[in-house]
Order: sequence, then C-alpha cells, then structure tokens
Amino acid sequence: MASVKISKLEKQYGAVKVLHSLNLEFADGKFVVLLGPSGCGKSTLLRMIAGLESISSGDVYFDDVRVNDIHSKDRNVAMVFQNYALYAHMSVRKNMAFSMRLKKVDKKIQDEKVAWASSILGLDDYLDRLPKELSGGQRQRVAMGRAIVRDPDVFLFDEPLSNLDAKLRVQMRTEIKDLHQRLKTTTVYVTHDQIEAMTMADEVIIMRDGRIEQSGSPMEIYDRPDNLFVAQFIGSPGMNIIECQVAEDSGVLYAVLDTLCLPLPVNSNVSPGQKIYYGIRPEHLIAAKAPMSFGSSSERLKTESGVVRVVEPTGPEIHVYAKLAGQDVCSISRERIMWAPGDEIFLQPDLQHVHLFDGETQIAL
Amino acid sequence: MPSSASKSVLRYLVSIFVVAVFVFPIAWFALTSIKPISAVFNKDRVVVFDFKPTFDNYRVTVLGGEKENLVGGQSASMGTSGKGAYDGRGSIMSSLIIAVSSTFLATFLALLAAYALSRMKFWGSQGYLNWVLSQRFLPPVAIIIPLVFIFHDLGLRDTHLGIIIAHTLINIPIALLLLKSFFDDVPIEIDQAAMIDGATRFQCFYLVVLPMIRGGIAATAVLCFIFSWTEFILSLFLTNTIRTIPVKITTFVTSTGSEWGYISALGTAAIIPGFIFILLVQNHLVRGLTMGAIKD
Repeated sequence: MASVKISKLEKQYGAVKVLHSLNLEFADGKFVVLLGPSGCGKSTLLRMIAGLESISSGDVYFDDVRVNDIHSKDRNVAMVFQNYALYAHMSVRKNMAFSMRLKKVDKKIQDEKVAWASSILGLDDYLDRLPKELSGGQRQRVAMGRAIVRDPDVFLFDEPLSNLDAKLRVQMRTEIKDLHQRLKTTTVYVTHDQIEAMTMADEVIIMRDGRIEQSGSPMEIYDRPDNLFVAQFIGSPGMNIIECQVAEDSGVLYAVLDTLCLPLPVNSNVSPGQKIYYGIRPEHLIAAKAPMSFGSSSERLKTESGVVRVVEPTGPEIHVYAKLAGQDVCSISRERIMWAPGDEIFLQPDLQHVHLFDGETQIAL
Repeated sequence: MPSSASKSVLRYLVSIFVVAVFVFPIAWFALTSIKPISAVFNKDRVVVFDFKPTFDNYRVTVLGGEKENLVGGQSASMGTSGKGAYDGRGSIMSSLIIAVSSTFLATFLALLAAYALSRMKFWGSQGYLNWVLSQRFLPPVAIIIPLVFIFHDLGLRDTHLGIIIAHTLINIPIALLLLKSFFDDVPIEIDQAAMIDGATRFQCFYLVVLPMIRGGIAATAVLCFIFSWTEFILSLFLTNTIRTIPVKITTFVTSTGSEWGYISALGTAAIIPGFIFILLVQNHLVRGLTMGAIKD
C-alpha cells in the first residue's frame, strides 16, 4: 500500500492543455473518487498515475518515491478498465494468474491466490471458462480478480461499472466498497456517476475542464458546495437553481425573480440589487396542497404557489416536478401526498438549507 | 406480391445458377484432366461425359511417368519435347517451398510492422503506411526488368530464395494493411492491462494480442499463399530451371500444339495443396476471437 501525491501535474496534447497544475494527496488506504463530466480530465489523471499516459510537467509520487519515469509494469498498480480488457483467449484462471505468471511466481502460490480471489468474488465455478462464456457482471469480477491477486500498492478503477445494468451496478458498488474495506488498499476510482462517488468514496474530487473544483468527503461536498457547478453536479435529482436578484422590503432581504419572492436566510452575505443564484435541494423544498402556516409572525416566511408538471413516485419518495413562476423546480417528499399534473402546489424552502451563489463568480456566498 | 414459398424457390434457383457459373470452369478443367486425348480433341462434337476416364495425364505430370509408354504405342501426344518435359513433380516441390516460405516471411515481417503501426505513436507513421500501400500501385510487371538485373547481380536469379524474396516483397504491403486492421480491432486497453500486469511490450505482443488475432493471421496467410502459389510473371522472369507450377504449365503449350490433358491435370493437382492449406487454417478463420475481452 502506498499514499499517492500529485504535484503541479499538467497534461498537454499539442496546444491543448487538459490538466492544469493539479495538486492532490491521497492518504494511504483511502478510497478516492475522481468525479466530473466527460472530458474533464479525470481519466487522463488516472492514466497518468498508472503510467499509461506521459506527464507533460509536474510529478507523481507513490509514498515518497517519484514514479514519473517508472514504467507501468514496475509501478505495482492494478487497474480495472471500463471495458474490462480481459485476455479473451485465456480462461478466467489464466486471466487472473497472468501477472504472477509473468513474475514467475511459484505455481502453488499462483493457485492459492487465484482460489482466494475467486472465492472473494464468487468466481469459483467459472475458473475454467473463457471470458466470452461469462455475463457482464462476471467479466467485471474477473477484471477485479486480476487486480486483487497482485497485492498492488494502488488500485485504479476507470469507470468500471458504467457498462453494467442498473441493478448489477448497485450490487458491484457494494462489493467494491466491501473489498476496499477488507484489503485497505489505496484506491483511485474514476466515475461520472455522482451516486457512485457519494456512496463509495472517503474523499471525492470534483473536476471540470482539467481543474479541481472541490475536494472533500461526500457529505461535505453535498452539504457545502463551493460553487454552482459542484452544487448542480452532486445530487440526484439536482439542486434547484433559480437565478434571481436581491431586493429589500422594509429592511428584510428577499430573492426576487418576476413575481417570485423567495425568503433568504438570516445573515445572508448579500446586498440589495446583487444578482445571485438561489439554490435549494429538492428534499429541502417542502411541498403542500395548501398554503403553509408557519406559526411565525415573520413576513419572511412565505409560501409560493406553482403548478405540478410531472410526478415520479420512486417508492420511498415522491419526486414532484413543478413550474414555479416559469422556473422548473423539483421537490422530494417522503409523505404520500397524491399529486396529479396540473394541481396547484405550495412550495416552501427550508431556510436552513438554502445555498446562495454569486451571480457573477458563481462561488458560494 | 409473391408468396414466401415461391420466393425461396426463386432464391434457390438463383443461387444454383450463380454457383454453377463459378464452378463450371473448374469442373470442366477437372473433367478434361481425366479425358483421353481422343475425347479432348474430338473435332466432331464436344465430349462431355461419354468417355473412358483415364489417369494417364496425372501419371505423367504428377508422378513423372513416361508419356510414350502410357498409350500403348499410339501417337497420343503431339508434343515432341524431351524426356521428363511433362514431369511436374519438381514444379510442385518448388511451388511449395516458395509459397510456404514467402507466406511465412511476409506474415511474420508484416505482423511486427503492423503491431508497431497499430500501437505505437511515432512521427510519420501514417505517411509510412501510405508509402507501403503505394508499393502495390505498380503492377509487378512494371518492376520486372530492374528486378531481373538486381537479382542477377546478387546471384539470386533462378534460385528459390530469389523468388521467395520477390513474393515476400509483393505480399508484405497487403499483409501489413490487413494485419494492422486486425490489430486495430483489439482495444488498446488490452495491451495496457497486460503492461500494468507487468508485461513488457514484446510480451504484450506475443502473449496477449497475437493469440487474439489468430483468425486474422490465418486469413492473411491464406491470401499470401494463394498469391504466391498462382503468381506467374515474376517467377517466369526470375527463373530458368526452377519452374513454379504456373510457369511449368505454360511450357505445355508448345509450337506443335497445346497439351490440354497435361495442362488440366497439373492445374487440377495444383489446386489441392492450396485447398489443404486453407482447410488447415480454416478453423482459425472465424470471427469473434476477441469476443469476451470487452463489453460488446
């Protein structure tokens, strides 16, 4: 096992810079997820850690050893690819034992390791099959088996679940996390699926256009996004964002858009006339069939009325998509209120969970 | 609209017709090879099946039998060439040596080049590929005269090695392009996975990628073999005594007439090695050898 340190790392393809001076440190044994939309450079970063991509400038360290000039095969990393990249002409057993065969590991130890990995991954009955005789989930497990028999310093996962169907993906997510908890190997995991990032990571690093937007624990990022991009990227359904302007009415500040007048948390760091993005997560946008009474004399708490567009019951929750003064918003509630498209809906943001972003810089206020 | 039954009948009729058109010349050729000379050269009518089959033509061309002894003193042949002029055994051996060797060489060299061109990024690789392809723009006959002089000076004229080299040179471009496309079909992640597993570049090549394109290698080898086996013009110009089968057969057309019986016998016999070669490799001529490597 090893910690990974990245210092002023840059990647350039001709005149195009895809990574801009990245500085990161992954502690030994941590599960780190690189998250971002496609083209943000997360896979490139992973491949640079693996040694599959040359480094334009900057350094990569494993523990305190600079690995820039060390060939992939000598870095002692293991990687699981998005498309599995199995050796199609070899049986599952040979696929898993391939790295040990190259190192000329004793045959008995090879067999033991393969047996260990296959029992962890539930592949015992498939050891003599060819990859083409396996299902997608089994192939993915073979790819993981090939990685874990290595005792690598670092595990690298490049969107390993994106080719699996939804149910299997959830199952494999748990298996990978379980595996990490057992092996405690430093893991770098690339994905564009924020649910995977949220559920699996010790630390999430959100990237956009070759830069790091924010890093931190999943809940930190969810609760305190640094900027509008992170706020919108994390969470499903995404955070409701309403672009509005701060207005003052008898000493109280509101966020106003046309007829919409949204309350602002006390002590908000805004001033009248300022353009802001008003963000509220769906579960913090409380919905009711009638105007809500808050039992407070404060005028600041005000219910807005809108029209229900689409209703999506997920089982435990009901997602209601509504139009609020021309804006699309979503509200999630665990109460079983029966909504129908066209119904009038009254919405009230939970002021403790309102996120405000500057209208210009898009940075959290 | 025709019913599906009549449609399928029509489909069968058309396919039978197409197959017949393609098979007829070969069948006629093979039939000629077992006809007695009287049936081949019947001036009054075309003899199709009403003849007494004979294997004399094969005995002379493939087994090296004496032609005079075979027809019981009758003057069955028109040619007056010397003893052994119709013996094709040496030609079959030469053709085999040349075709097998040049196929092996061309495929082997093209494999190394194709892997490099498919996997490694280097300056001028696309230009190089275009240049290689351009080597097939010229028909071989266009380079025959310089080639004859060069081979003469190098002492390669009229040697097996000479023709092997010539056929290899002609085959490499097409083999390279074909194999490159097969390598391109194998995702680069497979190489990368192998490298991360600790393989050197060469181990990636021969332990991982090469076995995955067996089918492509077999197909390429078949093409090279067939080219070399049937190639005529280079072999004709580059040899005097070594005669490949196509060149040998042309010598059966003499000033006094064409020995159709011998031509068809050696020609039919010449189909067989190619046929065996293809049978041997056809197990590998299946698509989908990379199946299962990646998510399809």
